[in-house]
Amino acid sequence: MLNYGYDEAALRISESANENDVEFRIVLAADDPSIIAGLKRVRQEFDENRVYTDVLFYHYPDHEYKIIVRKDYYVDFVLELMKQRLLQSVEWTADR
Amino acid sequence: MEQQAIWAIGIFLVIYALIISEKIHRTIIAMIGGLLMVVLGIVDQETAIHHIDFNTLGLLIGMMIIVSTTAETGMFKYIAVLAAKKAKGEPIRILILLSLITAACSAFLDNVTTVLLIVPVTFSITRQLRVDPVPFLLTQIIASNVGGTATLIGDPPNIMIGSAVPELTFMAFIANLAPVAILVMVVYVPFFIWMFRKKIQTTEELKQGVMAMSEKELISDPKLLRKCLIILGLTLLGFFTHQMLHLESATVALAGAFLLLLLTGEHKLEQALTKVEWMTIFFFVGLFVLVSGLVETGVIAQLAKRAIDLTGGDPIATSMLILWLSAIASAFIDNIPFVATMIPMIQEMGSMGVSDLEPLWWSLALGACLGGNGTLIGASANLIVAGMAGKEGHPIRFVQYLKVGFPLMLLSVVISSVYVYLRYLI
Repeated sequence: MLNYGYDEAALRISESANENDVEFRIVLAADDPSIIAGLKRVRQEFDENRVYTDVLFYHYPDHEYKIIVRKDYYVDFVLELMKQRLLQSVEWTADR
Repeated sequence: MEQQAIWAIGIFLVIYALIISEKIHRTIIAMIGGLLMVVLGIVDQETAIHHIDFNTLGLLIGMMIIVSTTAETGMFKYIAVLAAKKAKGEPIRILILLSLITAACSAFLDNVTTVLLIVPVTFSITRQLRVDPVPFLLTQIIASNVGGTATLIGDPPNIMIGSAVPELTFMAFIANLAPVAILVMVVYVPFFIWMFRKKIQTTEELKQGVMAMSEKELISDPKLLRKCLIILGLTLLGFFTHQMLHLESATVALAGAFLLLLLTGEHKLEQALTKVEWMTIFFFVGLFVLVSGLVETGVIAQLAKRAIDLTGGDPIATSMLILWLSAIASAFIDNIPFVATMIPMIQEMGSMGVSDLEPLWWSLALGACLGGNGTLIGASANLIVAGMAGKEGHPIRFVQYLKVGFPLMLLSVVISSVYVYLRYLI
């Protein structure tokens, strides 16, 4: 399993499993443009590839995002969050 | 029959069969067919070039540049999410609204572009509502073909007809085809509701999730969007007035495209030109030259004569023959090569004494565009959606589509027959 850590002052992340998807709720701190730009780049990365249902973004007011991630793209999504510095650490745990 | 005519027919039939078989890409086959006509001396290069309709090609290229640049702004996603919210997250209402948006967009953009823009947003909305996207995709395929029927620029057969017959202007297409396209969509909507309402149910909580979405953030580049909207508006105005301005529709589309690139700056140039579907453009080039072989050897004239003999030159019988033949043929084969063959045939009928060709042109446009709804292989947009759906784990089966598309196609052709008869033939 993949575990990750992030700056809780800059964003909040929650996730839940749902059939073949993992649903993320991400709320960003409004006063940090680099975090907002980072998530935009994550979205752009998955928008520009040729898979339409890998990672789907839904915008809500106050910088809240629901993100539906297909299970087979879970790792790619988490690594992309890491790449854009939205996550501070990512590690594999023993049960996988 | 002359030896060259026999060669021309042979090449045409083999190429046509290869296009239908889809074993090799249709662009390669069409280009080889066109080149064979030249290499074997059936048409010389100069004549072949004269048969390539640059108005059709210019119109397609211009619109592809404008649409691909506009798509980058997120405008189409914004419209789709706004529609979902207006529908209060109710799946059947969203299905109807998205199909109406698809029809409206298809009237002014080409069908393939429209479905490429609308299908990804459909996947996104249906995923959030946890409903099957296939009913949405089926109705969007059908709506794209109906919407494309309404205008000169909506569907390749109309672009080709409008280009071949200068008196059929952009406004003439709207005046003659938009009423029947609207009527067909109005008749289809209750069928869509009846067929799919029970298959796409969701929970109140998921509907509320759609209602709470913020569509404004989907506009990724407001500055570029403003420029695109201005150019789109000017281009559409140009289409409406192209006859008054004495400009061909291709000139209008290309002027719009390059004016937009002037406004966006040259950094967009390379990207915009890569988004042009060059495979489609060269497919047209090959077809025009392929058909020129049949025209120059008199084969088309012979076919036109036989059609007139069959109908006795009666305008009603000839119109109905063209309408139904085009519809049935377009349901099973690509309507672009079919229309490329039919255009010179109808022109030949004019020189053989059929005085009023107008009902025949509208019959060809209606048959070729609406016929594409008959099967999953009837139009390029159908295949594109089926391909996208299959890749994302929601395959659309040939028979599954046939059960929905074929009866609806027949219904639209019956409506068109009544329309053509009442409007032009009595």
